[in-house]
Amino acid sequence: MSKNMKKMLTGYGLVLPSFLMVMLVVTWPILTAMKTSFTDPDTGGFTLDNYKYFFETPRELTNILFTLFVVVVTVALAIIIAYMLALYLRFVRSKISRWIGNLYLLPRFVPGMVAVYAMITVIRDSGLLNRISQLFGGDFKPGMMYQASGMITMNLWFNIPFAALMITAGLGAIPDSMIESARDVGASKLRVFRSMILPLSIKDVVIAATFVFMSNVGSFTTPYLMGGNYPKMLGIVLFDQFNKYLRYERAAAMSFIIFLICSVSAGVYIYTNLREKEWEKN
Amino acid sequence: MNKKRILALVLTLVMALSLAACGGNNNSSSGGSSSDGNSGSGDSNSSGGSKVVHVWATGSDNVRQIFETLTTDFNNNAEYNQGYQAELNFLLSGTGAQTLPDMLAAAFKANQTGTDYDVIDMGGDDLSKIVALMGTDGFVKLDDSKIPNSSKVSAESADAAEFCQPYRGTTVVLAYNSQNVTDVPTTTEELYQWIQDHPGRFAYNTPGTGGAGDSFVRTTVYNYINDEAAMTSGDPAWMEQWGDGFAKLAELHPYMYQSGGKVVYPNKNQGALDLLAQGEIDMTPMWADMLLSQRAAGTVPEHIKMTTIEPSFTGSVQSMMIPNFGSNEDGAYAFINFMLSDEAQETLVKQMAAIPLVDVSNMDMTGYEDLQQLDVSNFRILSIGELGTDFNERWDNEIGVLG
Repeated sequence: MSKNMKKMLTGYGLVLPSFLMVMLVVTWPILTAMKTSFTDPDTGGFTLDNYKYFFETPRELTNILFTLFVVVVTVALAIIIAYMLALYLRFVRSKISRWIGNLYLLPRFVPGMVAVYAMITVIRDSGLLNRISQLFGGDFKPGMMYQASGMITMNLWFNIPFAALMITAGLGAIPDSMIESARDVGASKLRVFRSMILPLSIKDVVIAATFVFMSNVGSFTTPYLMGGNYPKMLGIVLFDQFNKYLRYERAAAMSFIIFLICSVSAGVYIYTNLREKEWEKN
Repeated sequence: MNKKRILALVLTLVMALSLAACGGNNNSSSGGSSSDGNSGSGDSNSSGGSKVVHVWATGSDNVRQIFETLTTDFNNNAEYNQGYQAELNFLLSGTGAQTLPDMLAAAFKANQTGTDYDVIDMGGDDLSKIVALMGTDGFVKLDDSKIPNSSKVSAESADAAEFCQPYRGTTVVLAYNSQNVTDVPTTTEELYQWIQDHPGRFAYNTPGTGGAGDSFVRTTVYNYINDEAAMTSGDPAWMEQWGDGFAKLAELHPYMYQSGGKVVYPNKNQGALDLLAQGEIDMTPMWADMLLSQRAAGTVPEHIKMTTIEPSFTGSVQSMMIPNFGSNEDGAYAFINFMLSDEAQETLVKQMAAIPLVDVSNMDMTGYEDLQQLDVSNFRILSIGELGTDFNERWDNEIGVLG
């Protein structure tokens, strides 16, 4: 066996387990779910009804739009706040920034369920905020439980540290010397940000946004514990179809719709990555 | 280079071995359980009078805890165990494994005899499921003379009554905050009136997320159907008569609990109980056992009380059954008799706030006095089978979407 051949086989051998794994637990289920989603539950034949149901029932259409609203607001707020946090951590050197730098990842280590219950005890109408307001003679009811605002707040708790982590890594790659030289030749702070920092970090921002988007479209724990009964996030809609109404074909169609929504975001991610390669060529 | 290659080889080997080990484990465990079944039959065939009683139960973790206590107590209680020793086989519900009804039906349909299924704990949906799967042919028609304590029990199971020995009950009650509610409703009409007089102070959990909310909406709808048979029928024809009840639910909707200026229904029984415990509402339908055990644990304040209304919410009893393809019928009878002893009933009250089915005058009911007012023989049973799915969907479509 030639050396090259051996090298090639070793390469394939190392990739094979993960390749098979992906085929078995990702590709195969997606294909079977797709097939189920086009199946008529009664006749077993081909039908588009399972999809039509979600786009023609006003209730389900509201659910889809509601989910997109919650996710888009989550992404926008999470990215803006995380970007500001990352800028602060990267460019301000003080005791406080070091402390924040050490602490901001803490939420990543709190189990999701615990975090959701903790948030509920703070924001519910009889929660911590309400009790603090009572100390001052008021009766402030946040009105966030069972509403989009509560879920978005919870999503921010989960996603800001994650997005900040990715963006901070990107900002860390910008050498101080570049910024210093730009400042030396008279560029204002705003100018440095607009012409250097932003273009150099935008790719990480977009990637962080796609990840936040994808992880929230199908989220379950937060909407299940904090969401209302209408409108619902798609994760719960899927759960209802599968678990409550026992309509497996519709559940498959719903999971495929979620998959399609996510793949838009995945497309953006791949496009961003490819574009970078174009730059590298030049 | 060589070192690297060796390392790679070792790693590959470790991976291969670990994979093989996983597979091996699976094999051995599945093989183990099937051989268990076989050895069980072998045992009983060879030694005849085995002294081990295999007790099978399924449910949440609190059910596991109570059965562990009860089997230990049985084994230490020479008066009741008559030399038999109970061994618990517990299946945690919702873990995706084969359920107990499935396992029993499989054993029954394969014509197995002398299995380990000596005595089983059944009730509610599991019981209807098993009756649907295998009828009652697979069970021993219980001989009351072999269960002396059964004379103290008047409750009967809704399904397969002759084959079931009920040993505990639970029901949905009306839980309320006694600091704020002075005129406690005693009938459903009074309850509806109370709800409308006190907007935002009542809630029930979304049907399909917990039995308490289910019980409220279903009794509301079925109270409008003047035929008791409807309560225990899965016939789709009854769906046509749901209209009045759903109209009532829609009428009550604007008076339900609100948050952020909008009516919302909490998810799960616990969601509704939390609202009550936090003082955000004053009344909610709730499982008696959930309310009492959490009150005893201190997570629900003492001033949360419970009451029953007429016509009542629904409840159910849990029973012991003896499959006729088990291998220790006498031991099974001894265990069932023990479950109805004062000692076991008191344990059931203390550990899971179950409603005792025997006279409680000899028991210490401190903290659980409320259970005494619940009369198991009056329990309303509602089992509408597959209609429940349509029911929940209709609620989501008609009531859930109201603004």
